[in-house]
Amino acid sequence: MPQGVLIVAEHRDGKIQGPTLEMVAKGRDLVSKHGGKLSVALFGHGVDALAEELAQYPVDQVLVGENETLKSYTPEGYSQALKAVVDQADPLVILMAHTTQGYDFAPRLAADWNLPLASGCVDVAVEGQGIVVTRRVLNEKIAVDLEFGGAPRYVVTIRAATFKPAEKGGAGAQVQKVAVQVDAAKIIRKVLGVEKPQVADVDITAADVVVAVGRGIGKKENLVLVQDLAKMLGGVVGASRPITDAEWLPKSRQVGQSGKTIKAKLYIGCGISGAMQHVAGMKDSGLIIAINTDPSAPIFEYAHYGVVGNILEVLPSLMKSLKS
Amino acid sequence: MNIIVCLKQVPNPDLQFQIAPSGTDIKRDTLNYKVNGCDEYALEEAVRLKEKLKGKVTAITVGPKRTEQMLREAMAKGADEAVRVSYEDPAALNSYQVSKILAEAIKKIPHDLVLTGVQSDDYIYSQTGAMMAGFLSCPHVSVVTKVTVEGQNLKINRELEGGDQEIVSTKLPALLTIQSGINQPRYAPLPAVMKAARAPIREIKPQDVGAQSWDQFAGGFQFKVRKVYLPPSRGKAEMFTGKASDTAAKVAQLLKDKGFWRGG
Repeated sequence: MPQGVLIVAEHRDGKIQGPTLEMVAKGRDLVSKHGGKLSVALFGHGVDALAEELAQYPVDQVLVGENETLKSYTPEGYSQALKAVVDQADPLVILMAHTTQGYDFAPRLAADWNLPLASGCVDVAVEGQGIVVTRRVLNEKIAVDLEFGGAPRYVVTIRAATFKPAEKGGAGAQVQKVAVQVDAAKIIRKVLGVEKPQVADVDITAADVVVAVGRGIGKKENLVLVQDLAKMLGGVVGASRPITDAEWLPKSRQVGQSGKTIKAKLYIGCGISGAMQHVAGMKDSGLIIAINTDPSAPIFEYAHYGVVGNILEVLPSLMKSLKS
Repeated sequence: MNIIVCLKQVPNPDLQFQIAPSGTDIKRDTLNYKVNGCDEYALEEAVRLKEKLKGKVTAITVGPKRTEQMLREAMAKGADEAVRVSYEDPAALNSYQVSKILAEAIKKIPHDLVLTGVQSDDYIYSQTGAMMAGFLSCPHVSVVTKVTVEGQNLKINRELEGGDQEIVSTKLPALLTIQSGINQPRYAPLPAVMKAARAPIREIKPQDVGAQSWDQFAGGFQFKVRKVYLPPSRGKAEMFTGKASDTAAKVAQLLKDKGFWRGG
């Protein structure tokens, strides 16, 4: 009977990606409650050092699929490699991070293997041979618990920054090479390279004060308000995704999962509702002040101080009050 | 090139939501709906590719009658045809089933390329695209920020975390999930809006894909919404409400007290 948890490790530039260790923490919690082993699947080429590193975390085994065709992630390559590992570990839950790799791979796997998928979860529990997950929907304002049952195993992705990453420790896991057969002809996607963003703008990660602006600013001409406030406070202007998508500010100003992660001493969110994608990039800032017209905006869950109001009225008043 | 673009109608996320008496959905009678954010970019990308390469764009959705308004907007913005798959569940939380139904409908429409948004603004599952590609047995690429068609090959930028872009290639027919910001979506010109208001919308029912009911696409495992509820509040923010001048004065005092304002 399938049991335990198998995590698909994510790595880039020779480093384990942060969310993988968050999955380890949650996976440990699941197997301690429901039994089975905590296994980690690591795919790549020349990943011995990464396997040894993973083995220092509280996992039971690291199953390594080593093959030149696995040098970069592709859904076709990873899917073939995972088959061999799943046959060996027989997990009840296949756990991945809800990252760009997670959203590329997990749904494809679920369709190809006819398995249920619960994605972007903030919690997961095993009940019998089924699972129950908790998700946040509708701009974080609503929670949903979903039950899945009657399947041999379940694919689950967990939102990044939901659980604290596991720390090194434990008995030292066994590292085991798994003979993975990868048919290169089946890999249709070719990875040609990675482009790093060109930094020709201010580095918002280096700023002590970030005044971040979102959709609530209404129109581009109003940006002068946040620019003036940032200047007064000796800080820089950051933005949520809709503002950089609309090209009102350069991509280099975007705070969030797909942009920059900041730990400013002061963050002021202006007209930003606080989608998880943005919050993941600013929640560790020292003092968080949020201004938004919607009192149910999720940004207030992360703020230390919140103002319910229109930034087009509050910001001019704020600058006037500072000067007086 | 024949392109299918999948659109979803979502509740405006800026609303405040209430729980329905059933406890397994939100109250929907007073909601207003809009087209999903990323899907607008997917539509624009489809129309731009068609303008460059010739062919046809078909906009498709799964949902109740209210979604026809969104399909008409899509036609006004350049889609040539529109299809509504008549799955009436207003919540449609079972993503496996919705993806399977959509894939079955898409099999009935000739296509070289299928585009979806990366995720829907309401459920943020990020499942439908890549899952459909599995059901359609075609390659997929997710989180696409640039597409170039070179014969039967596609050269694609896909977004990774932290602003990095991965450059990949794949082959047609393919499915791509499109990220917001890939283009600047156009506005619909008024004559096109008028024309779209009268355009026919094709409906696909279970019988059209050889099924008795949509239930048979549920994957053979159990899925149940156990509970829909308001999440526990962390409630740690000290809130300032009232007149803008009053709340602003409080924030100004706070910035002074914490040493972030040194005058000037």
